[in-house]
Amino acid sequence: MEKKLKSRFNLLENVYINYILIGILFLIAIPLNQAGIIGGSVLITLGSVILYSVVGIGMNILLGYAGLITLGGAGFMGLAAYLSAYFTRDLNMPFLFSLIFSVGIPIIIGIGIGLISLRLGGYYLAIATLGIGEVLKQVFIEYDVFTGGFSGKSAGYINLFGLQFDRIGTYALYAVILIFALIIGHNIVNSATGRAFMTMRSSEAAAQAMGIRMLKYKVLAFVIATIYSTIGGIMYMHLIKFSFPTTWGLGMSLNFLSIVVIGGMKAIAGPVVGALFVIAFPDLVLKNIPIIGTSPGVAYIFNGVLIVVVLLFYNRGLIKIFTDAKVLIKKLIGGK
Amino acid sequence: MSNFIQVIFSSLEIGSIYALASIGIILIYQTSKMTNFAQGAIGMYSAYMATVFMRGTGISATLATIVGMAFGLVLGFAIDLLIMRRAKNASPVTLQIITLGIVLFLTGLAPLTFGAVPLAFPRFIENKSIEILGASILYNGILNIFIGFIVVALLFFALQRTKWGLAVRVTAANPTAAKVMGVPTKKVTMGTWAIAASLGALSALMLAPNTVVDVGMMEGVQLSALIACVLGGFQTFFGPVLGAYILAIVRNLFGFYISSTWGTALTYSVILIFIIFKPNGLIGKKKIKKV
Repeated sequence: MEKKLKSRFNLLENVYINYILIGILFLIAIPLNQAGIIGGSVLITLGSVILYSVVGIGMNILLGYAGLITLGGAGFMGLAAYLSAYFTRDLNMPFLFSLIFSVGIPIIIGIGIGLISLRLGGYYLAIATLGIGEVLKQVFIEYDVFTGGFSGKSAGYINLFGLQFDRIGTYALYAVILIFALIIGHNIVNSATGRAFMTMRSSEAAAQAMGIRMLKYKVLAFVIATIYSTIGGIMYMHLIKFSFPTTWGLGMSLNFLSIVVIGGMKAIAGPVVGALFVIAFPDLVLKNIPIIGTSPGVAYIFNGVLIVVVLLFYNRGLIKIFTDAKVLIKKLIGGK
Repeated sequence: MSNFIQVIFSSLEIGSIYALASIGIILIYQTSKMTNFAQGAIGMYSAYMATVFMRGTGISATLATIVGMAFGLVLGFAIDLLIMRRAKNASPVTLQIITLGIVLFLTGLAPLTFGAVPLAFPRFIENKSIEILGASILYNGILNIFIGFIVVALLFFALQRTKWGLAVRVTAANPTAAKVMGVPTKKVTMGTWAIAASLGALSALMLAPNTVVDVGMMEGVQLSALIACVLGGFQTFFGPVLGAYILAIVRNLFGFYISSTWGTALTYSVILIFIIFKPNGLIGKKKIKKV
C-alpha cells in the first residue's frame, strides 16, 4: 500500500510528465487570452519565450553538456528564418518541404563549424564562431534578393497541409513543439551520446583515451545545436512574421548565452526558466517600471547583472532554486 | 600609387587602434588565462565618460583622453576587485561568459547614464593634412599611428626590463610557482586589468573622431582585436600586435581592391581558413596537453 502511494507520488518526479506540464502551463495562456485577461502581445511574448527556449535547449546541449561555446548561433537562426520565409513566401513551397531545406542547408554549415572546432579549443572557438556570425550577418545585409536587405523580409503564419494557423493556433503548436524539444533533448543527454559529450567536456584527452571519437561527437554536438537553432529561427519567422538583418547579430547570440547560463547549464529545462527571465521579464515587468523602464538599456543591465551574479554565486542556474527550496522545506519540516 | 599609400596609412592608423585593444586582451589572457570580451565595452564607456567630462568642463581633447584613460584604469581595478577575483576557480569558458555579462551591463548602462544620442569627439589635431607621394594624410592620422607604436614599444620595454614586467611574465608562465616564489600575483592581475582597460579607453578615444561616441562604437574593434589575437597567436605578447596590423592592412586592401562590401567578410573567411591549418596563429607555439 505504501509502495503504491509512493509510486503515485513519484508521478511528479517523472521527468517526461514534468516536461509535458511545462507545455501545459504555457497552454493555459490561451484561455486567459480568450477571456481577455491577458492581451495578444503577451501571447506573442510567451511564444517568443517558447522559441528562445527551444534554441536554448540546443545551446545547452552544446555548452552545458559538450562544453563547446558558440557565439554564432543567431546567424544560423537567421539563416533558417530567411530560408523559410523565402521558400514559403517567394517560392510558394509547402511548409514541410520548406522545413526540410531550411533545416538542411544550415546543417551543412554546422558540420563545417564542427570540423573547425576540432582544431580550436575553448576560447578560440568562441572567437571563430563570432567571425562566422558576422559573415552571415553581412550576407543577410548584402544579399537582398533573398533577404530584403535593410528593409526586412516578411512571412505569414504557418500553413500545414492546407490548414492555416492563426495566432492562437501557432502558439498552441509552439507549446507542443517545446514539449517534444524538451523530451528529445532529455533523451539525447541521457544516452551514450550524452555521456560521451560530458566526458569530452571534462577532459578531451581523457575522453579520447576512453575511445570517444572527437570528430564524431564534436560535429554531432554542433549539428544538434544547429537543428535546434534552425527550428527556433523558423518559429521566429512565422510568429513575429518579420525579420531584419540586424536582428541576427551578436546581441541575439548573447541572449542565448544568458538564457543557458541564467537558467542552468546541465539542466534540460533550464533554458525555459532562463528564457522567462531574459525575454519575458524585461518585456512584461521591467517595461512597466516608471522612468527607467522606458530606457532600452534596462533589459541589458538586468541580464548582465544576472549572468555575473548567477555565475559567481549560484553557478548551477536558477532552475535549481526549485530543488534547493524543496530540500530546505524538507529540512525545516523534518528537523534534520 | 597615391591610393595605395592612402590605404596603407589608414590601415596603420586603424591597426594601431586594434593593436592597443588586442594588447589589452593578451595581457589579461596571459595573467588570468581568459579572453576578455569586455575590452571594447570598457573602452566605449570610458570614451563616453571622457566626452561628457570634456563637454562639461571645456578641457582639450588631449586632457579628456587622459581623463578617459584614468577612468578606464579605475574601471579595470573595480572589475578585477569586485568580479574576477571572486571567480578564480571558474573554468575559462565561464570566465569568458562573465565578461560577456559585463558587456551586457555596460551596454545597458551607457544609454541610461549618458542618453541615447551619439556624441562627437574632436581630433587631437584639427583638419591639417600633409601630402605624402600624392596622398593626403591627416596629421591626426599620423599622430594616431605614432601613439600606437610608442605605447606598444613602451609596454614591451616595461615587460622586458622592469620588475613589473618580470612579475607579469612569471605569472603568465606559471601562476602557482610565481605565487610560491613571492610574486604578488593578485596585484599583478589587478594591474594588468587596469592597464588593459586604460588601453581600451585610449583606443576608443583614438577611434572616436572617425565615427561617433555611441554604444556600438567599439563592436568592430572588439571583434577585430580578438581575431587579431587568434591570428597572431595567444601564446606571445607580440603576436596579437602583429596580427592587428596585418588584419587592418589585409582588410583595407581587400576592401579597396576587391570589394568594399565584402572586404571584411572575405578577410574573416581567409583568417578562419588560415587558423584551421595553423591553429596556434602566426607565431604561436604548440601547447602540450596533459591529462
